Parts: sequence; structure tokens; C-alpha cells
Amino acid sequence: MRSLLLFLIAMAIAFASPARAENQVIAAAVSGFVKPAYGAFQTASAELSDDMDALCAEPSPDRLAAAREAFASLVTAWSEAEIIRFGPVMEENRLERILFWPDRKSTGLKQVQRALAEKDATATDPATLKSKSVAMQGLGALEFILFGTGSERLAEPGEDYRCAYGRAIVSNVQGIASAVVAGWQDPAGISAQWANPGADNPLFRTDEEAVTELFDIFIHGLEMVRDVRINGFLGEEADGDRPKQAIFWRSGATTGSITANLRGMRKLFEASQLAGLLPPDSAWIADSIGFEFDNAESALEAADGPVAEILADAARRGKLAYARLVTSSLSELFGVRLAGALGLTAGFSSLDGD
Amino acid sequence: MRTPLIDRRELLKAAGAGFFAALTGRALAETMQADAVFATAYQRRDGSYGAAILSEAGAVLHRIDLPDRGHDVTFDPVSRRSVVFARKPGTFAMVFDHTGGKEPVTIASIGGRHFFGHGVFSRDGRLLYATENDFDNAAGMIGVYDASADFRRLEEFPTHGVGPHELLLLGDGRTLAVANGGIETHPDFGRAKLNLSTMRPSLVFIDRLSGDLIERHELQPELHQLSIRHMAVDRSGAVWFGCQHEGPASERPALVGRARPGESFGLIDMPQDVLGGLRNYVGSVAANTKAGMIAVSSPQGNALVIIETAGGRIVSTSRLTEVCGVAPDGRGFLATTGAGEILGPEGGLIATEEYVWDNHLSRIG
Repeated sequence: MRSLLLFLIAMAIAFASPARAENQVIAAAVSGFVKPAYGAFQTASAELSDDMDALCAEPSPDRLAAAREAFASLVTAWSEAEIIRFGPVMEENRLERILFWPDRKSTGLKQVQRALAEKDATATDPATLKSKSVAMQGLGALEFILFGTGSERLAEPGEDYRCAYGRAIVSNVQGIASAVVAGWQDPAGISAQWANPGADNPLFRTDEEAVTELFDIFIHGLEMVRDVRINGFLGEEADGDRPKQAIFWRSGATTGSITANLRGMRKLFEASQLAGLLPPDSAWIADSIGFEFDNAESALEAADGPVAEILADAARRGKLAYARLVTSSLSELFGVRLAGALGLTAGFSSLDGD
Repeated sequence: MRTPLIDRRELLKAAGAGFFAALTGRALAETMQADAVFATAYQRRDGSYGAAILSEAGAVLHRIDLPDRGHDVTFDPVSRRSVVFARKPGTFAMVFDHTGGKEPVTIASIGGRHFFGHGVFSRDGRLLYATENDFDNAAGMIGVYDASADFRRLEEFPTHGVGPHELLLLGDGRTLAVANGGIETHPDFGRAKLNLSTMRPSLVFIDRLSGDLIERHELQPELHQLSIRHMAVDRSGAVWFGCQHEGPASERPALVGRARPGESFGLIDMPQDVLGGLRNYVGSVAANTKAGMIAVSSPQGNALVIIETAGGRIVSTSRLTEVCGVAPDGRGFLATTGAGEILGPEGGLIATEEYVWDNHLSRIG
């Protein structure tokens, strides 16, 4: 009936130990993707922290360039990890505190500009920053500090407040990254709970619930990339384009971030070894998934650049539109083909219902 | 002992929709009158969307195609017409007549608004009320439509909250109960939730004639991420509501509450194992006033919980994959699932090959 469940039962017997066997797919997803992805995010935040320290201590064009480059790396690392939307990142509003986006009413921008104008001392101290508006303490605010109006003056002495606020944001993000990493490393925490479903497990009672959580990452991640990240600024036709609604448009990291979202999903798919569960006559599904990830990645790479430039160039804009189309194909492959072949319901009502 | 009714149900079950295709109009009408009749949105296995009228045996008595995914169906017993609303952030609602008399009518949302998936008729069938999103201002609205004039939009009034979802008309025929889920969305960004760190759901009572706010209730501040979304009225007139928790899964807040206009508002306790089984998500709430019971379903937890309204006792908990649609039937409830199954009040399970059922099931006859 449900080939995946049968497989999981077989695995449980094969790996029988005094305790109940771990769910191997989940254990592999955690050790092969989740922990490394958050680890890379933590490392990137530490590197940016060093660069910000250096910039604030002795401003120079090179040091500003280094900080901006480290910001781009941090965005990439976060964009790979942010597809995980459960566990420690959901505690204490961490997800929104790392990245509050979209900021439709420019609430964050206005708050950041006000802090800069008033030299608000509570924004330069990480201890007080973390209890301010979520829009003031994460990557969106930091992008304005490093790339927004007036940011070029960070290359010279005299912008102590702006630099200090930037340092506080990085320190805050670093602290959140460490807390999320610690949460996944906790031997009694989410890693163990996700990989060991059972009647007394408060989060996952069955293997199916655990594997569905894994599937949700792909289903929701693809929907996010398409409906929120791409459709947020790319119209059906060019006259519907809204370049300033693109994520990370100020830093030019828009397509890099979207590419990293998809790369995160691909890494997770490969790490979890879901393809290995497919019966031979369904092996094509995994091949098609790999093929479509390749297509999306090369289209986004071909489009790469500042959003306004991409949208003004019909050929590069077309690449973006093609990448959007590929995400729909991937949604079908994961949500219908792969889910069907593994005996999971595609989650018609349970996935982000109403 | 088998009653004739059960025999007929078995026949309907075996025959499916094809049986009805062969019935004359009059025979079909008689069948519909004799049996309980339900309405729901669905997706077909080929990926297309629609809405159907179902017999309690799960036969599709009537169906219409929809251009996109539907959500809830509301029924007007006066004109015997149903309205299926597009799922958020959809911009259409379709009025249809399963008794076959009238052509379907499409209602398009006006510029700057979209539907949230729920609506309700006035008792006389003259006005239709729908929850809508004034998305540029992140303000919940109730759109008012004239059912006697091709569903022309007459006016709107605010729901005094963000992201209204289900609305009901209370027993006085005048008070609307509206669940303001609290979640801000904007069609530019699909279904993305834009304000989880600051959301403030509420349950409000509104005078449908004046549009005035009668009462507004919020849960305590630490429960501000508990989105109030679906409701049903029990036989004493209390409004039962079901919630979806947008905060961390490590928290397991109560998910079901009860409000009495002018008297009380609050969550009710449930045994921890029953609450845990709902996995922080109630997808639908229904009342069986004759039986004195409320049903809450959780497609996330694959659970259907039936509660006695008088004492709050848990009558039963059923495990069923992706159960969500639920409506009163006999001494219990008929429930539908996102896997295409239908669970009867006596526990019989019918599987459908052709359809998977959307989140809501409405009793329309």
C-alpha cells in the first residue's frame, strides 16, 4: 500500500538496536543538510562580524568592499538554510528577526532611517536591539546600512553611528544563528525528535508525519521561491514588473538569494537520499528533479545582476521567467510525482490550508 | 436489519454519479429531497478544480467546474442556490443551482479586494456577505452583495481586524460572527504571511444591517499567534471557534474556544493527548445541534475530534488521513478528506477515485 512506510519498517528492522531505530531518511537530512546549512550560516555571520569590526575600527574603501562581500556570503548561506521553517528557527520570532521580508509598507526602512537620524543608542547595543522591531534587527536593515543611501560614507571616518548599528545587527544575527545551531545539536532536541517518531514524541508520532515534514520543506520552499520571491517583483508581462519589490535589490543579491534557496532544496534532496527509496520504474523522477534544478540554476546564473538591469533586458528577463516556470515543474515533481511514488498523500488539504 | 434507506444508500454508493445521469429530473429531485445533501469544493485527479453537491453516501449529485481552487460553499435555502468562494487570494465566487434551474453566475471581487473563501446569506436570501481583503491597507472587510440583482456589490464594512476568514450569521438573523485570523497577506506575495511577529487575531460580532461593531474579543497577548479561523454555533447559541497556531510547534496552546455574545469568550481545555493529536491546527469546525455536539478536524494531525457541547466531554477521536471537511449528519458528522475519502457518522468509509475533497463540507439539505 504505502511503499515508503514499508521501506521504513524494513529499515527499522534492518537497523534494529536496543532502542527504536532512527528514521534513516530524516537522520541523513539532519546530518547531511540541516546542521551543515545552519553551521555555514553561523560561520558566515562570524566572518561578517570580523569584517564589520575592521571597517568600524578603521574605515576604508577596501574594508567597506570586504564587508559588502561578506554580507553577500551571509545572504547566500542564509538563503540555503531559510527553507527550513520549523524547529529552533521558529522560536522567539527568530525567522523574522533574521529576515523580515517582504516589508510591504517599508516599516523597517523607516525605522532604520529614524534610528540613523536620531542616533538611537538602543539600536547599537545588541542587548537592546534584539527587543526592538523585528524589521530593525536583521538582514534587511543590515542591507540598508551597507548598501542604502549614505552607505558609501562608511568607507571614510565619521560614520561611527551607522557602522556601530551595523555591527550590532551582525552580532544579533550571529547570536540567533548560534542559538539555532545549538538547538539542532541538542541531543534531546529537534534532531532526535524528528528522526525518532513515536507515541510519546510531542512533535512527530509516526514516520509518515516526520517524512511529511521533510516534504513540506520542498513544497513550501518551491512555492515561496515562485509566488513570493519571484512573483513579488516579476510581472506576468514586463509592465507588471516592480524591481524595488525584489528581495535584496539594494545589494544586487536577488538572483543569488533565489539560486541559493533552490540549491538548499537540492542539497536537502540529495542529503536525505529520498531518491534511493524510489522503485526502479520511478527512478526517472529523481533524474527529472536533478535536471530541473540544473535548468533553474543555469537560467538564474544567466540572468544574474542588479534587478533593474535584468528587468530592462528582455533576454535576461526571459531567463528569470523561465526559472519561474521551472519551479512549477519542480512543484509537480515533488508534490505529485515523488509524493505519489513514495505513497505519501500530496497534502491537498494539510499543506498550508486555510 | 436493513432498512430501505440503507439499501438505497448502498445502491447510490455502488452506482456513483453515473446512476444519477440516468435519473429523470423528477427522480433526481426526489432523491435529493429524501437524503441529506452536502456541498464541497474539490480537486479532480487530473488537477482541475470544481464544486460538488454530494449525497450522504458520497455520490456526486451535481458539479460545476471552477477556474481555480475553491474553498467553502454557502447555501441559501430560499432560492436553493449555493455559492462557492475561491480560496485566498482568489478573486471569484461562483453561484450555482444544483436543482438545475439557473445558469451559474460568477461574482468577481472588485479592484483592491480579494475573497478569503467564506461567505453567508441573510436568512431571507436577499443579501450575501463575504469576507474580503483590502490588501493595500491590510484591513479585513465584509463585502455585501444583492442576491436579488445578479449579486451586485452594494457596500462593504470593516471587520475590525486583519485577515478575516470564516463568518457566520447567528440565530438572531442579524449578528455576524467573524473570525479575524490576524494574518496579513498581500496578493503580490502569494500566500506569504507578512506579520507573524505582530499578528493580533480577534473574534468580532457585527450588526449586518448597520455594519456596526458589537463586540471584539482577543485572546491574551501571549497567544497573539493563535489564529482564530473557523466557527460553528451550537444549539445554545454559543459560537465555538477553532484556531491554528502560527508560533513554534514546541508550544501546544489550546485550539478550541467558545464565545457567547455579551457573556463570555475563551479557550477550553482538552486532554493533552487529544490536543496534541490536532498538531496546532484546526481546519474546520461544525455543529450538530440535534445531537448537541461539535466536531473539529485537523488535516495536519489527521484527526477528527467530536465534543459534547453541554459538558465539553470528548465523545470520540478518529484518525483519518487529511480529514478536514465536516458537517452534521444524523446523530454525528459526515467528514471528507484531502485523500478523497468520506467518513460517515456510523464510521463507514467511502473512497472516491475521481476526487479529493477540499477543506470544507457544508450541509445544504
